[in-house]
Amino acid sequence: MLDVIRRDSEESDPAAAPAVLAARNLTVSTGGRALLRAVGLDVAPGSVLGLIGPSGAGKTTLLRCLNRLIDLVPDLTVTGDVLFHGAPMYGGGGRRMDVDSLRARIGMIFQQPVVFPGSIADNVLFGVRHTARLPRRERPERLESALREAALWPEVEHRLGDAAASLSVGQQQRLCLARALANQPEVLLLDEPTSSLDPRSTEAIEELVLRLRERHTPVTIVLVTHNLRQARRLADSLACLAVRERAGEIVEQGECGELLSRPRSPELIHFLSKGAPL
Amino acid sequence: MRRSVGRGWIDRAFWLACALCAACVGVLLAGIAGAILWRGLPVLRPGFLTAVSSEAGASGGVRDEIVGTLILITTALLVSAPLATGVALVHAVYLRSLPARRRLLVALYTANALPSILFGIAGMVVFSRFFGWGKSWLAGGLLLGLMILPTLSVALIERLRSLPRKYREAASALGLTRAQTVWSVLLPQCAGGLLSGALLGLARAAGETAPILFAAAVFSGAGLPSGLRDSPVAALPYHIFVLAQDSFDPSVESHLWGAACVLVGLVLGLSLLALPARLRAHEEAQNA
Amino acid sequence: MIGRRWDGRLEMTAVFSWGFTSLAVATFLGMLVLFAAQSLPLWRHAGAGFLSGTTWFFRAGQFGVLPMVYGTAIVSAVALLFATPLGIGAAIFTAELLPRGARRTRLAVKTAVELLAGIPSVVYGLLGVLLLRDFVLRLLAPWDPLSGDTLLTGGLLLGIMVLPTIISLSDDALGGIAGSQRLAARALGLTRAETVLKVILPQALPGLASAVLLGLGRALGETIAVFLVIGRQDNQWPERLLSLRPLTEAGQTLTSKLGGSETFLALDDPLHWGAITGLALVLYAGVALVSWIGARLALPGGGRA
Repeated sequence: MLDVIRRDSEESDPAAAPAVLAARNLTVSTGGRALLRAVGLDVAPGSVLGLIGPSGAGKTTLLRCLNRLIDLVPDLTVTGDVLFHGAPMYGGGGRRMDVDSLRARIGMIFQQPVVFPGSIADNVLFGVRHTARLPRRERPERLESALREAALWPEVEHRLGDAAASLSVGQQQRLCLARALANQPEVLLLDEPTSSLDPRSTEAIEELVLRLRERHTPVTIVLVTHNLRQARRLADSLACLAVRERAGEIVEQGECGELLSRPRSPELIHFLSKGAPL
Repeated sequence: MRRSVGRGWIDRAFWLACALCAACVGVLLAGIAGAILWRGLPVLRPGFLTAVSSEAGASGGVRDEIVGTLILITTALLVSAPLATGVALVHAVYLRSLPARRRLLVALYTANALPSILFGIAGMVVFSRFFGWGKSWLAGGLLLGLMILPTLSVALIERLRSLPRKYREAASALGLTRAQTVWSVLLPQCAGGLLSGALLGLARAAGETAPILFAAAVFSGAGLPSGLRDSPVAALPYHIFVLAQDSFDPSVESHLWGAACVLVGLVLGLSLLALPARLRAHEEAQNA
Repeated sequence: MIGRRWDGRLEMTAVFSWGFTSLAVATFLGMLVLFAAQSLPLWRHAGAGFLSGTTWFFRAGQFGVLPMVYGTAIVSAVALLFATPLGIGAAIFTAELLPRGARRTRLAVKTAVELLAGIPSVVYGLLGVLLLRDFVLRLLAPWDPLSGDTLLTGGLLLGIMVLPTIISLSDDALGGIAGSQRLAARALGLTRAETVLKVILPQALPGLASAVLLGLGRALGETIAVFLVIGRQDNQWPERLLSLRPLTEAGQTLTSKLGGSETFLALDDPLHWGAITGLALVLYAGVALVSWIGARLALPGGGRA
């Protein structure tokens, strides 16, 4: 049983803000077998938390617990809890909460861009039309600001009516980001957003993450990545997941630079020594 | 976090509407199954299957009808299987371009949907009159075989399509000719598909009335056929069809339910036999 | 060259395969040609009047298809109005709205629906005669029907018969949409209903349309069940086309006419037989067209075949 290693916030900021997202003893199991075991972590507001580790350790599963998307995967049981601004998502009355509103406040980007039928404008406004019931006159403004934030506006401003499927893969992924940003979320969950992209698109998205962090109203980001260079560049803190006793656990977490230069757990040392992602 | 009232209401209403549809369908289908079983099972004493129909259907059994149906569907299968194999091989092996393959598949789906009465009428002209066979069991078998040809072909094509390419590639790499690949690798692997397709085709053929209406079936006086011309058969669906037009006699009515039960039993039995193979193919396709 | 290998020798398997396929194609097309040829006496006698005539008195040599086309249309319309919402709604329920882990339930339902699709038409006809007829008679009592054999009865029975087809094909259409679409929509904060209505259905539309069209094809071509419950009354041409009155009366469809005793009777009279095969021709063409469109929608272009 691994002790939960809390991020020592007192060292860096005496008046640290409470974690916007936190996991407490989170365990996901299927048919008696655990996939994720006793995960505990805190995500400070406005920061970027990187989730790294070998394939199959449960990074995607953990991410999906953070916005209740795990509900849609069959045959899984979740024990423990995830807290959003201190309010539980699973325990207590958490299960009965309005998940749809929650998911509008916690956006998610997947590994492969998922584009809905319709035009570019339709796609960007898809969420916001339903979740925020945004009045028609405010839509063009929201559309433009989301596309600008995703660094896609210059490329599409003259063809907003074109089919979204006509964009390149890199552009589609930025479109998905714009779509999530249009909801004006507090948190963004990114599941290996650049793993299927060319270097130029990867660069664009990494720039985007940096900008989101520096914003006047920063977005808190949880980023799953296989790429250590990307983690080093973008993340403030890291959590490393690895398989122990046939279930995924957090083997080490802490400040990014610290973790990568002075790893302590054997799995992380092994992972780093490999150089390239597993 | 309280849900916006409008959206939550719409979501619940939608779920309810769809659930209602599903419930209606369930009740309907359960009712049909229930009616057939409840009315028909009591009639199925052992003698029912072995006795000959008598008193114009008011009593007796359906022995001749069962025999006739079996003769018809066996003939249909013997006619249809080689043809369907040929069609499936053309699609899977010999047609080179994708658009051509799609056109063939579309044609098969279209042919599959043709009304069965058309086979009956064509059969009357060609077999009864032109060939001079009068009413003949062979005409019935040929017509039914033709009717189920698209069903068998499509089943076989689907099975061939789901075979991993590696089998063909390995065979070619070993130096097998195309024909040898077909006979040694493809067809043996698809035996399951041919079997399940055949069972489904047989199930359909067993239940059809319209193709045999004019050129093959009679209501009474038909035992085992002797020869080709003027040798009709009795058949379960035709038997039910004739009796149903005059169903006001209560003893006839119970006889009808019994016959319907036998027919449905036969058809469902054949379909169920095909089930394990089709479930396996479905699983394979999902995991692929 | 078809059937020949690279060294010029005949590949027997190919020869037989192509031969069988050609035989199959020839037979199906041959049926169409047969009907066209056999109906020539009719076309020479009545010409296009056949297609626009509203009376059918074979003894007087009057042949018009419209009442039967009308009957077929009404009966099919009732069937689709009944089966489409019910079928697609049920398919949406089992495909999208059941809890995620109900895989075995879904399989059981799918099997049950397929088995019911296999029930022979004559058994449906029997159910119609023994059960549905009385039900409709009581239902229509305020309108004083002559019997339970009406166009409405035929339509309802057909609706029940095509229900499994529509459910099964709609389920296939919905299942063909990638799961990532649903995940992405829910992750955005959309409710179940919004996901199905705005993301899934627009993409499943071709498949759903094909399900309805193939169901329509089956309804148009169904003979035996309709024959037993429709009353087989000729010359039922309504005074006003859009009235509901004909639903309470008996009628005739293309298939119920073809399946009747008149077909036997007509065999010896070239003109009469021409009329019968003319009906067959119209039926063949109509159903083939509808099914062809439905099949094209079901099989996405180029790629997968």
